[in-house]
Amino acid sequence: MMHANISAKLPQLRPGLDLVFERVVDVPRELVWRAWTTPEHLMKWFTPAPWKTIACEIDLRPGGRFHTVMQSPEGREFPNVGCYLEVIENERLVWTNALEAGFRPTGAATVCGSDAFFAFTAVISLAPHWEGTKYTALVMHGDEASAKRHEEMGFHDGWGKAFDQLVAVAKTM
Amino acid sequence: MPNHAEQLSHVFHALADPTRRKVLERLSEGPAPVSELARPFAMALPSFAQHLDVLERCGLVRSRKAGRVRTYRLTPKPLKEAETWMTRQRAVWECRLDQLDSYLLTLKDKAP
Repeated sequence: MMHANISAKLPQLRPGLDLVFERVVDVPRELVWRAWTTPEHLMKWFTPAPWKTIACEIDLRPGGRFHTVMQSPEGREFPNVGCYLEVIENERLVWTNALEAGFRPTGAATVCGSDAFFAFTAVISLAPHWEGTKYTALVMHGDEASAKRHEEMGFHDGWGKAFDQLVAVAKTM
Repeated sequence: MPNHAEQLSHVFHALADPTRRKVLERLSEGPAPVSELARPFAMALPSFAQHLDVLERCGLVRSRKAGRVRTYRLTPKPLKEAETWMTRQRAVWECRLDQLDSYLLTLKDKAP
C-alpha cells in the first residue's frame, strides 16, 4: 500500500533541533503500545517526577485528541493539547502539540508552560527485538524561523552544523 | 527582553539566516568592525546593517562605537541558553522514558 510506504520512512534528522532516543525493554510490543495509548497507563509514567500527570484524554486515530494535564509539585496545573497524526497499532504513533483535535492549529499561547514554547512532533516507533521490544522516540522541534525557511533563498542544511559550531564556541568563552 | 522564551526564539530566528551565521562565525574569531564584517557579502550596507541589528537585538552580538568605527563582538550567553534549552528537553525525555521502562517491567511482573 502506498500510504504505508510513505509512512515507513522516518523524517530526516535536523541536529540542534531534534532528539532521538532508542530503548530496548524486555516486554512484548503490545504492552509498550498499551502504555503509550491508554490513559490509565500513560498517567503513571508520562510526566517526569515529582511532576504528575493528573488527567489524560486519548482519541486514538489520526486527528484525534491527545490531551494531558501536568501538575507541578506546588500544585499548579499545566494543560497540554495535542493531536495524533499517525496511528499504526503496535508499530508507530505520531502526535504533535502544534495541532489540536481535528488538525486545527494551536496558537503558541496554548502550548504548556514557559519552556514548551516550541512546537514539537513526536514519532514513536516500535519494533520486535530479541530481548523484547525496541522503541525509538524521535522528537522534532520547530522554531519560529522554520515557517520562513521556504522563502529564504540560499538556505540549506548548514544550520544544524553551524549551530553546533556556535555552541562549541560559546562553551569555550 | 520581555521573557526568556521569546528571546530564545529570536535567537533561533537569527541563526536561521546564512548571512547572519557567517557573521557569527567570523565574530567567533574575535571582534571586528562593520567594514570588515560586510566585506565578504555582495549587499548594500543598509541591508547588511539590518542583519547586524537582528543579531544585536536578540543579544547574540554587542557593538561599541569608537570615533567613526563601530565594532561588533560575540556575546555567547544567548547561545548557551539555546543549548541549555535543548539539554533540558533531552533530560525531560530521558526521565520520561526511564519511567516508562520501569513501569513496563512492573506491568510485566503483574501479568499472569
